[in-house]
Amino acid sequence: MSAATQTLNTSAEAAAEAVSDDVMLKLLNVESAYGPIKAIRGVSLQVRRGEIATVLGSNGAGKTTILKTISGIIDPRKGSIEFKGHSITAQDPAIIVQRGLMHVPEGREVFPLLSIRDNLLMGAYTRKDRDGVARDMEVVYNYFPILRERAAQDAGLLSGGQQQMLAISRALMANPDLILLDEPSLGLSPKLTKEIFEIVVRINRERGTTILLVEQNANMALNASDYGYVLENGRIVMEDSCARLREKEDIKEFYLGMKEEGVRADRRWKKKKTWR
Amino acid sequence: MSQLWDTSGIAPQKNVVMAGETIPAIFWNAVAARGPNVWMRQKDFGIWRSWTWNETAQAVREIGHGLMALGFEARHTASILSNTNIEWVLCDLAVLSAGGVSNGIYPTDAAEQVHYLCEDSGTRVLFVEDDEQLDKALAVRDSLPLLQKIVVFDMDGLRDFHDPMVISLKQLQALGREHAQQHPDMLMHRSAACKPQDLAILVYTSGTTGKPKGGMHSHHGLVYTVRGYNTLIARDERDECMCFLPLCHIAERMGGEYFSMYTGAKLNFVENPETVPENVREIAPTVFTAVPRVWEKFYSGVMIALKEAGGLQQAVYGWSIGVGHQVADLVLAHQPVPGSLKLRFHVARLLALNNVRKMIGIHRARFLVTGAAPISPDLVRWYLALGLPMLEVWGMTETCGASTGVPADRIKPGSIGPAAEYNEMRLDPVTGEILVRGPNVFMGYLNQPEKTAETIDADGWLHTGDVGVVDEEGFFRITDRMKDIIITAGGKNITPSELENELKFSPYVTDAVVIGDKRAYLTVIIMIDQENVEKYAQDNDVPFSNYASLTHSTEVQGLIQAEVDRVNKKFARVEQIKKFWLLDTQLSAEDEELTPTMKLKRKLVEKKYTPQIEAMYR
Repeated sequence: MSAATQTLNTSAEAAAEAVSDDVMLKLLNVESAYGPIKAIRGVSLQVRRGEIATVLGSNGAGKTTILKTISGIIDPRKGSIEFKGHSITAQDPAIIVQRGLMHVPEGREVFPLLSIRDNLLMGAYTRKDRDGVARDMEVVYNYFPILRERAAQDAGLLSGGQQQMLAISRALMANPDLILLDEPSLGLSPKLTKEIFEIVVRINRERGTTILLVEQNANMALNASDYGYVLENGRIVMEDSCARLREKEDIKEFYLGMKEEGVRADRRWKKKKTWR
Repeated sequence: MSQLWDTSGIAPQKNVVMAGETIPAIFWNAVAARGPNVWMRQKDFGIWRSWTWNETAQAVREIGHGLMALGFEARHTASILSNTNIEWVLCDLAVLSAGGVSNGIYPTDAAEQVHYLCEDSGTRVLFVEDDEQLDKALAVRDSLPLLQKIVVFDMDGLRDFHDPMVISLKQLQALGREHAQQHPDMLMHRSAACKPQDLAILVYTSGTTGKPKGGMHSHHGLVYTVRGYNTLIARDERDECMCFLPLCHIAERMGGEYFSMYTGAKLNFVENPETVPENVREIAPTVFTAVPRVWEKFYSGVMIALKEAGGLQQAVYGWSIGVGHQVADLVLAHQPVPGSLKLRFHVARLLALNNVRKMIGIHRARFLVTGAAPISPDLVRWYLALGLPMLEVWGMTETCGASTGVPADRIKPGSIGPAAEYNEMRLDPVTGEILVRGPNVFMGYLNQPEKTAETIDADGWLHTGDVGVVDEEGFFRITDRMKDIIITAGGKNITPSELENELKFSPYVTDAVVIGDKRAYLTVIIMIDQENVEKYAQDNDVPFSNYASLTHSTEVQGLIQAEVDRVNKKFARVEQIKKFWLLDTQLSAEDEELTPTMKLKRKLVEKKYTPQIEAMYR
C-alpha cells in the first residue's frame, strides 16, 4: 500500500471520528430471507456521512442481500434500517431513491437499448432541477470521458468496464447522498478495476458522496475504504477501520491470501479463523 | 428395545469373548474369527465405506511390514498426529503388532508441543494426517535426532513436495508388501513375541500445569481393562458405535477402539469434528459413549428448536417429557412403574419423545454412556426421561479409563457408581481422596519416576486427586478435584465443580470457572455458547457485530445474570456467585486456555485473566 493512501486513511479516520455522530445509514438486527433460507441473520452496521464503508465476504455470505434490503428491493423479516435519521425499513424503492439513496446493482444492469445519454438521464429521473442535471452530466463526463465520446451509442455496445462506469454515473446523476455499490470489480480486468476504484475514491473525496461498497476483491476494497465489516454466513464477524483490518491475521489469511514463510514453499491448508 | 424399567436387555457379559493376552493377539484372533464381517466405516466424499476385519488386517499387515522395512524395532516408539480416522486405528494396530509403542498426539497441538511429545516419547516414526500436520513436524524435526521417517496419510497439496524423510502411507504400504514377500512371517513373530507386561501405549495427560506427562500402559493393563469393560457395559457384535473423540485420549482409545476390537462392535468414524451431529443422525448408534459437552450440546439444540416450535408442539413436548420424568423418578426411586404410566409413556414417545431422540440420532440407542468429565444430574435425568438409560463412568488416564460405572438397573444421577469389579477403590481416611488399585492402574509416567512415586504409593494405591464420598450401597460421588477445592476467606469449603456443572446445564453456557479461594465471595468466568447466545441476541433484537460486542451487550449480560441467579437459588448464601465475567474472545482448541476436549483450564484461566478477576473483587 502506498504512503499516500496510508495518510488518506489516517486523515479519513480522524475525520470519521470527528463526525462519528453523523450516522447516515444504520442497520439494526436486519434479517432477510429467500423463502425458508435466511440470507442475512441479524446484521447491524452503520455508515457515517462522508466515508466509504465496505462489507467484505465470500460468495453467498449475504453481501448483495444487505444492499437489496437497504434499497427496498427485498423487505427484511426483522430489524430496522434508518437513513438520514428516518426509517426506510421495507419502504418502496422509488421513495428510497427520492430520499437520496442510489443502488448500483451487481452486474451493472444498464439499459442496453437506450443510449448512454438516456441511461444517464434515467438516473436523474426524479430530479426537477434541469441546471443541476446538466451540471452533473458534465461532472460524470469528466470522471469518465469515454462516456461523453460514446454518448449517443446504445449502452449495450459498451464493454463491461464502460458499462460499470455508466452504472456508477447513472447513480451519480441522482445527486445522491449515499451510493450502494455492489461488486464493481465483477468481470473486470485488474487494470480496469483499479481505475474504477480510483474514481470511486475521487467521487467520495471530491463530492463528499457517502459510499457503501460490497466486494469480493478484499484487497481493493480495503485500500479504497475507511471502515470495513466482514460478513460470513449472513452474520458480521468483525468490524474495524480498514487500516486495522488489513493487519488482522484472519483477513490476511482468508481475504488477502498473504502467507508468511512456512517450512514448505507452498502452503495449501488454512489456519483456523479466530476473528480477533 | 430396552425400557428404563426393564434393563435386562443391556446386562453386560461376564465371559471372555475374544482370547488374547496382548492387543495384537486379540486383534489377530478377532480377524481370524470375524474375517468377512464389517468392523469399521468411514465417510469418504459423502459415501460410507466399510472396512471388513480382513481388509483391516491386510492394511495393518502392510503398514506393520512397512515399519519393519524402515528398521522399526520392537519397543521403538511411533507417534500418530491426526484427527480420529481409520488410518489412526490401522497405524496404531500396526505399531503394536510390530512390537512397538504407540503414542497419540492431539492434532490441535502446536509445533512446540509436537516437539516435546516426540522427544519425550523417543518417537522414531511419526504418522501425520495431512500437509497441515506435516508442517508442524517439518518445523521441529531438526531437533529430533531419533526421528527417522514422517508418514503422511493424505498427500493432497504435496504432489510437488519431495523430502527424503517424508513418505506417504501408500508408499509405506508398498514397502510393506515387498517386505512381506521376503519375510512373510515376521510381523506375526513380532506380534507373538509381545509380552503382556511390555509397554504398549503412551497416553499424555493434557497437563493443566507444567509439561504433559506420558502415562504408560502395558498390554496386560489394556487387555485386563478391556475385558473388565465388558463386565461393566454391554456391547457385542451387533452394536453400532461412533468413534469421534480424540483417539489420543484414553476414553476413545479404550472405550472406542480397543473395546470394539474386543467385542466386535462396529466403529463408525465421523467425517470431521464439525459433522458429528449429522453423522450421529446418519448412523443412529446403538450404544453411544460421549463426554458431557456432547450431551449438553444435544440438549441445548433440542431446547433451542423447541423455542422455535409452535405452541401446540411445545405443549405436547411438555406433557410428554413430564410423563418421561414421572417414569424416571419411579425408576430412580427403585419403585415399580404402573401399567397405566407405561401406557402413557408409550403415547408420550409416539407423540414427541421419539422425535426428540431422532433429532439427536439416539433413537436406536440401547443406552448412553457419559464420562471423562463431571455431568449435571439434571442432564442425566432429562435423557432418562426420554427413556434412555444414561450410565456415568468415572476414570482417568492413569486408571486406563473407566474405574467405576453406574449399573443400568440402579442409576443414581450425581453418582459415578460403585467400583468396577476389576479394581479396588477406597477413600483416603484423612483427605477423602479416592484411591484405586488394580491391574488397570498404569505403569507410571515415562521418564518421570518422581511423579510416578507421588501418584502410586508403596501399597500400589493410585492417588487420583479426586475427592469423593461413598454411600451405604458402595456408590461413589465425586465432590471435586483435590487441588480445585476453594476455601473462601470466610473459611467455607466450596466445590466449584458443583456450581460449574449447574451453570453448564444452561444452553447459553459452554464452560465456567468458579473463583473464590481466600476471597470474600465467589465469582465466575463464563464462556458462552456462541451459537445459542447469538440466536438469543437475534431473536431479541440485540445488536452485535462480533464476539466481543456480543458478550458486552447489556441484554446478554442480563441473560447470563439470570442463569447465574437460577444456579444461586440451589445453593446456600455463602456458596452463591456474586459476580461474573464473560470471556470476550472466541476460543478454539488451539488456544492455550482450552484442553483438546474444549474444557477451560482452571489454573491457566485464573492466571491469564487476573486483571478481570481482580476487577470483580473491587
